[in-house]
Amino acid sequence: MINLLLRPIVKYLPENNRLERIWKLALVDFKKRYYNTYLGVIWALLNPLFKLFIYYSIFSIILDPQIDNYGFYIFSGIIFWQFFAEGTNKSFSVLKSKKYLLENIQFNRLDLYYSTILSLLLGFLFNISVYLLITLIAGIHFNYNVLWIPLLALNTALVVFGLLLLLSTLYIHFTDLNQLWAMALLAGIWLTPIFYGRGALMDSYPFLLYLNPLAGIVINVRETALYANQPDYFFIFYDLFWAIVVTIIGLYVFKKYSTKMIEKF
Amino acid sequence: MSVISVKDVSKTYWVREKQITTIKGFFSDFSSLSKKRKIRALKSIDFQVKSGEFFGIIGSNGSGKSTLLKILLGVIPPDSGGKVKIKGKAIRLSLGMGFDPNLSARENIYINASMLGLSFKEIGDKFSDIVDFAELEDYQETKLKFYSRGMKSRLAFAIATNAKADIFLMDEFFGGVGDLNFREKSESIFKNRFVDNRTIIHVGHNLKHVIDNCDRVLLLHKGEQIALGEPREVVKKYKEILKESINE
Repeated sequence: MINLLLRPIVKYLPENNRLERIWKLALVDFKKRYYNTYLGVIWALLNPLFKLFIYYSIFSIILDPQIDNYGFYIFSGIIFWQFFAEGTNKSFSVLKSKKYLLENIQFNRLDLYYSTILSLLLGFLFNISVYLLITLIAGIHFNYNVLWIPLLALNTALVVFGLLLLLSTLYIHFTDLNQLWAMALLAGIWLTPIFYGRGALMDSYPFLLYLNPLAGIVINVRETALYANQPDYFFIFYDLFWAIVVTIIGLYVFKKYSTKMIEKF
Repeated sequence: MSVISVKDVSKTYWVREKQITTIKGFFSDFSSLSKKRKIRALKSIDFQVKSGEFFGIIGSNGSGKSTLLKILLGVIPPDSGGKVKIKGKAIRLSLGMGFDPNLSARENIYINASMLGLSFKEIGDKFSDIVDFAELEDYQETKLKFYSRGMKSRLAFAIATNAKADIFLMDEFFGGVGDLNFREKSESIFKNRFVDNRTIIHVGHNLKHVIDNCDRVLLLHKGEQIALGEPREVVKKYKEILKESINE
């Protein structure tokens, strides 16, 4: 009887070495991305910094947006967008890059997804530390509201996790999905309030704010980390809800179709 | 006690005349969705393997050997109705596969052995054994892409042995593994299989090897289970089938 009650709980506790394995896969993934190159981890920082430089030059010098601290304004958004874009793009390599394991050994395939998210979070940690450091030096005023940042990051991670499961499973069947997704990301960066405030979308196309989970997250990142305000609680709850729904859909599609799909590898 | 039990396992692939692998194709080529051809890769296979057995699977190309191995490993599911039960951790050994070429031997050892159920502490304890067994002391930090096929095979075998994999699924693995010295070492591993409860499934084309080593052999032909039993007889049967197909 006790056994029967405990079994479902034990089933979801990590095996003694499962966490180790996920962590190792994440580290190895992270290392492979950056360490093998000459500049190493600096690349992880260089990319968003360069993007910031480009966008900042164009928008502030040519267009003059009349927003205080416009550089940080964009940077905070870009860091989260980068996390999202890089993460979902992994959908198209997560299974293929681990084919050598999938074909030769039995293990829980979800481990690959957990480790991918972990390795993305490591990269994100670098970027957000740089952001916080620079804003601190620049004398931006912080208060306890900055503590919302970890939650917003986890929210983004959950969105990425769900989409990763969904897209990677579909990708086995539809090999042109990566082209479509590249276009979606291109549109997404402009439809997310990174370079402009929420007002622009709220007035004309409010549904775009609800369709895109990153919109609310970026708005709240700015409110809490740049303006030291309270977050917009509606978006906090709405985006968490969005993430949970997409994760449930992703898990369902993955469980139902991923084994069958692997035959096509 | 049987560690592998395969009951009425079939595998049917549905192959479209025109394979649709893109979203564009899905919408533009709707009519061809219905045209499917049935390929029966395996037809009600039924056998059991005891703990410690050296079990051979033979058959010509396209007889379903690889499909069967994949089903045993759980990479692909069998058709509904079929049942596969495996007790213990299985690893597939094939020539030069199973490693990430961009990682060092050390990292590959940790990942593979961890998946076989070892904790990192245990792997650390066994690390030097694995490297010694594979005769790769000087190449621990070398990336696997610089390894030769023989070196990779030795490493795979060393990991499977030292990490105590219960079931070795050897896919055309023999013949490629190293020099005489290493071959002798692996022979002794196979001889101790009853003591260590190590079960070996061997798929290969070298019939002499099959007769010399296997306890029992399964013969597949065009997805069907033709014979199962004593190696000499099964190999004889296999040769008959080969002759027939040549005469046809």
